[in-house]
Amino acid sequence: MTIGWKSRVNNQLKVLRAMRNWSQAELAQRLDVSRQAVNAIETGKYDPSLPLAFKLARLFGMPIEEIFDDGFKGQDDAC
Amino acid sequence: MVSRDKTMPAEPKEARAPGIVWPVVISLGAVMLAGVFAGYHDAAVEAGRTPPAPWVGPLIAAAVGLGGLALYFRRHASWFRALSPRQRRYWSALGLSGIIGGIIGGWMVLDQETGRGAADLFGSGALSPNFAVGASLLWAGGLAAGMILYHRAIDDHEERAWLWAGLAGWYAFIFPAPIWWALHRAALVPPVDVMPLFLFSLLVNGAVYLWLKFR
Repeated sequence: MTIGWKSRVNNQLKVLRAMRNWSQAELAQRLDVSRQAVNAIETGKYDPSLPLAFKLARLFGMPIEEIFDDGFKGQDDAC
Repeated sequence: MVSRDKTMPAEPKEARAPGIVWPVVISLGAVMLAGVFAGYHDAAVEAGRTPPAPWVGPLIAAAVGLGGLALYFRRHASWFRALSPRQRRYWSALGLSGIIGGIIGGWMVLDQETGRGAADLFGSGALSPNFAVGASLLWAGGLAAGMILYHRAIDDHEERAWLWAGLAGWYAFIFPAPIWWALHRAALVPPVDVMPLFLFSLLVNGAVYLWLKFR
């Protein structure tokens, strides 16, 4: 369980946002969350909830696992 | 060059958020006005004149404050209308909390027998039963209403900050309280006083919340 202060999940949010030329505030408005929430996700200080992750996936038109990467490479990493 | 994605929903409005300075100035002005009336009331009593009823000053100050805030909201009505329902609930919760806090704080200062300064908010002097009952009801009702609005309005990130802050505040209570109690029973420290424990818990709660929300 990730209860710490630093996320172990990397994400492409900043890149995807920059590709669309959106500010953090603009993305936050599209997601109906605060700008601080977007900033915290981008900087890896916070992992979004599953509903918010789905919302992001829908917004960017991509599967969740293309936006978020937990470093899992396959069977060998499972244990 | 990367082109802008045309498949996205309509562009969000980039209306600039109204500043927080005016509500603060209006609120402080109303409190100061109430203080002026309180001073006038005391001066009239000391001079042997008939003072105005004690509720006149706070009532006028509250009316001026609410009038000022109404003008402020009217001035920025378009911005508030553009907010999402979640954001509206958020600002309503904060506004409600601020108004109730201001009423309790102002009433408490006016209720004190002596001083009538901001420091009275943190004093432990006697309060009138009217104020004690009224403020308790306002606190309970206001906090309940504010919390319902607030928890329906916050996003995941803020909820997480709130939950961790709540836990930290609880720890800030359960660590020192039994220690203080045990040390007191051994006559090593004065009796347990709930206010420092409450304030410490509140301080830790606030610090953790602000850190997680704004770091």
